[in-house]
Amino acid sequence: MKNGENYSKSRRSFVKGIGASLLLIPFLQFCSDKIMHLLLRLSGTNHLLGHRLWIKDFPKPTSQIHIPYLIVGGGISGLSAARQFDKKGISNFLLIELEGHLGGNSSNGENKYSKYPLGAHYLPLPNFKDKELLQFLEEEKIILGYDTKGFPVFDELQLSFAPDERLFYKNNWQEGVVPKDGNSANQDLDFQRFFKLMDAFREGKGNDGKYLFDIPLHLSSEDTKIRNLDKMTMKEWFETNNFKAEPLFNYIDYCCKDDFGLGIEYVSAWAGIHYFAGRKQDASSDKKDSVLTWPEGNARLASHLKKYTHKKTLKNHLVYDVKVKNNKVVVQAFDDIKKVSVEIIANKVIMATPQFVNQYLIKERKEFTKEFHYTPWLLASLTVTDLADNFSFPLSWDNVIYDAKGLGYVYDQHQSLNQVQTKKVITYYHSFSSSDLKKSRKELYKKNKDYWKQFVFDDLKIAHPDIEDCTEEMEVFLLGHGMVSPAPGFIFGEAKRNASKSIENKIYFAHTDLSGISIFEEAFHHGINIVNQILDETALDS
Amino acid sequence: MGKKFLRFEFLLLFAVFIIATCGLVYELVAGTLASYLLGDSVKQFSFIIGVYLFSMGIGSFFSKFFHKNLLNTFVEIEILVGLIGGLSSVVLFLLFESVEYFQFILYLLVFITGFLVGLEIPLLMNILKDKVEFRDLVSNVFTFDYIGALLASILFPLILVPKLGIMGTSLFFGMINVSIAIALCFLLKRELKNSYFLKVKAIFSFIILLSVFIFSDVILAYSEGKLYGENIIYTNSTPYQRIVLTHNKSDYRLYLNNNLQFSSADEYRYHEALVHPVMSIAKNVKHVLVLGGGDGLAVREILKYKDVEKITLVDLDQGMTKLFKTNKVLTDFNKESLNNKKVTVINTDAYIWAKSCKEKFDVAIIDFPDPSNYSLGKLYSLNFYQTIKTILQPDAAVVIQTTSPYFAPKSFWCINKTVMQVFPQVDAYHAYVPSFGEWGYTIAINGFGTTFNDVNRKAEGLKFYNYQFDRFNYFTNDMISNEIEINRLDNQILVRYFDEEWGKLQ
Repeated sequence: MKNGENYSKSRRSFVKGIGASLLLIPFLQFCSDKIMHLLLRLSGTNHLLGHRLWIKDFPKPTSQIHIPYLIVGGGISGLSAARQFDKKGISNFLLIELEGHLGGNSSNGENKYSKYPLGAHYLPLPNFKDKELLQFLEEEKIILGYDTKGFPVFDELQLSFAPDERLFYKNNWQEGVVPKDGNSANQDLDFQRFFKLMDAFREGKGNDGKYLFDIPLHLSSEDTKIRNLDKMTMKEWFETNNFKAEPLFNYIDYCCKDDFGLGIEYVSAWAGIHYFAGRKQDASSDKKDSVLTWPEGNARLASHLKKYTHKKTLKNHLVYDVKVKNNKVVVQAFDDIKKVSVEIIANKVIMATPQFVNQYLIKERKEFTKEFHYTPWLLASLTVTDLADNFSFPLSWDNVIYDAKGLGYVYDQHQSLNQVQTKKVITYYHSFSSSDLKKSRKELYKKNKDYWKQFVFDDLKIAHPDIEDCTEEMEVFLLGHGMVSPAPGFIFGEAKRNASKSIENKIYFAHTDLSGISIFEEAFHHGINIVNQILDETALDS
Repeated sequence: MGKKFLRFEFLLLFAVFIIATCGLVYELVAGTLASYLLGDSVKQFSFIIGVYLFSMGIGSFFSKFFHKNLLNTFVEIEILVGLIGGLSSVVLFLLFESVEYFQFILYLLVFITGFLVGLEIPLLMNILKDKVEFRDLVSNVFTFDYIGALLASILFPLILVPKLGIMGTSLFFGMINVSIAIALCFLLKRELKNSYFLKVKAIFSFIILLSVFIFSDVILAYSEGKLYGENIIYTNSTPYQRIVLTHNKSDYRLYLNNNLQFSSADEYRYHEALVHPVMSIAKNVKHVLVLGGGDGLAVREILKYKDVEKITLVDLDQGMTKLFKTNKVLTDFNKESLNNKKVTVINTDAYIWAKSCKEKFDVAIIDFPDPSNYSLGKLYSLNFYQTIKTILQPDAAVVIQTTSPYFAPKSFWCINKTVMQVFPQVDAYHAYVPSFGEWGYTIAINGFGTTFNDVNRKAEGLKFYNYQFDRFNYFTNDMISNEIEINRLDNQILVRYFDEEWGKLQ
């Protein structure tokens, strides 16, 4: 989530005013209709099909497709590559995707009350010098124009509405996600010092003249002093810098999990600081740390990109083999609907797939793939009749519970213009931050849906004691390999560099795991850059 | 021995005095509450007093069936009267919603209290009959009884209700009742059997009453709002709001979620100021849009212009518009405006409706509740006004109720400044509405084809507005605020201003 350092204390009176109504709770009947039966569903990425890559029991291809350019993977990297092909006037490409829909981590679900994200759910305001992203946002009318000072004017309906964040801390909801009400003076000093340091990192530049931390990540400075931050965990950095405040520790832990899946104890300090310092907050004159969001989350952005793949997509197709043969790339894929295999012969292939998949498709990749770690995630979308709490701060877009297991929940109808919602839809997020992600992944799939249902309820009950009685429907969505997670040493490590290298100028790689952090901007630029690289090389060849 | 007996007698007589006072207080509470909710105070008081006295008679009749442990029974009844009488108002307050069976509960409570009080006097006389001469006994008991009644009837309207409120009064007397029981338990512990058990019961009851008493303000705020002192003649909770209509002398007041919506005494000022400037300034007035305003009072004013052909009113709350189409008292106020054939009522969310509306209007009158929360704040956002602009004809005029420039200048000018981002001509004006205070409006024209000082048409028979717009748009220094931000969905700064400004006043 965004780092809300611009916090003020102006809301106290509001809280006080509303606090009176807290006393009313015993007299009001909340969940007016008692939920008799909870509709519970378990879903997730298609890991069963994916796991067939282990044994590769696929039929022999029965048909052939010839295409100059093939994109494997329909997440943001792949979709962005498709857009870039289109921009460059190339239309003879094909995109192939394992799932029945495009979008990857930017997918969504929908029920009769609201759409809801099944993955990434917001885009922070872009850095001002990220012209390609600004251009995309302008094309899609998310940026409506530029004001007299040259700042982009974002569409009011797509910026997160106020109030955008609240934190359940010391039994009260407070505005923003930074714990503040009730800290000791020393703790406040720690927060101030921390945010000052982050400001310096955000503004700072290395010997090479590059920002210390930038987006896309490869633009960041190569300065050794800064690179050394990648050698320790964020927790070690916290301690080395003599921070003591527990609320600050918790806050940073929350931020790291939010963007990387891994908490403060396991994540690289470089990545941890990048969260605060990578975004320059210079694309708006007032709401610097605002975000763009939609009920369906970043699936909205995916749907904008999808139009470039119209009639150029093979869905429900699992690619199981990719190799260079006779100066061409031969790709074999299994059609999970027709249960037949198909062979695609392409001049160039973009692997917009994660490396844990690529190791089964392409020879000699297992060794460095070991260095890639992916955090499992669990998302739960709940339809509730009411969200009773102590009314200390109104329901916000992002609702974080201090010291909870998960990352809190997003109110999916927050961007609605309606006055009232008969039912509310919220999406709960939980990342499995641990030292043994494989074990966590096994646990994720081994435990049944009732176990996870109770897990979600227990976590939300901290702030909403009667949530269980108010929930009508819950979809638990499991992501075994939720996102790449930058453990120390990975971002500036060998494995990442090796995995990024193209093969014989035929097979190219574009995915956020090659950045080490899984954010929209990285995927977006990977797609653009890889197409530019292919076209530049082709131009040189001819 | 004599001295001790004197104390015994005195104690019990004091108890009579308290019982009489409390009994009458409960009766008055019930009568007051009944006339609050059901109206017609003469009938209510008359019925309550009748039922109360009658049930006292029943109680007296049944007193003859008590033979043993009279003193214990007396103390127990004392506790029970305190508990039931004390809590009666709380129960009645919380049952305001369901009127049909409210009456049953009301009379049941009156009956039980009356019955118990009726039991006590004969019981007491039986206790004392062997110890005091009958002549003295009768005269003393009734003397104290009637003094208590007088005290109650004087204290109730003059001190108790103004200081403690209805609920506080009944709870307070419930506590007095029970504390007498507690005192008796301690002072007469030799005469009482099992006094320990009685003590526990009495103290437990006292704690219940005390804790409800502490929370009584909150319960009151919940069930009665600020309506104290006026007779509630109608209440209705729709899915969106709680509608309460009160009546006091010749003044009817409508409250939505405890906020005053109008007072019949001066609403003409508010509605004339809302409607007539914009109606006279607009180039055309064929098709008029009203957003909010489900009371039909703005529509009543619009219908005074003969060249109006169609009025579209969009109000979220069907309960509200239905009420103002059907309730006799209310249709007298709006002159059946919502039943007029020129008027189309649409019950839906105005923002969503405007986004998909295909029509264009000559005039828009926006009369939403004040931006007191983030939901309502959306209806004052930049994007909302941009949306409204898309459904307006060129040179259409718009007016927006903009809260009080005196109490909430930041809020007022924030809305004004936001509207300025959207429309080429924008101004503000205000009018004094006694029940609201100084109240303000933002007015805008969607073009340059007319100006605020143009009077393109007039309606007859206005009591307040004189079509001299330039008399209304002057603001004194205490109603001005600078350095205001624009209200957008992503900052909702207006809700913060509003909370800051009105929060100070509460």
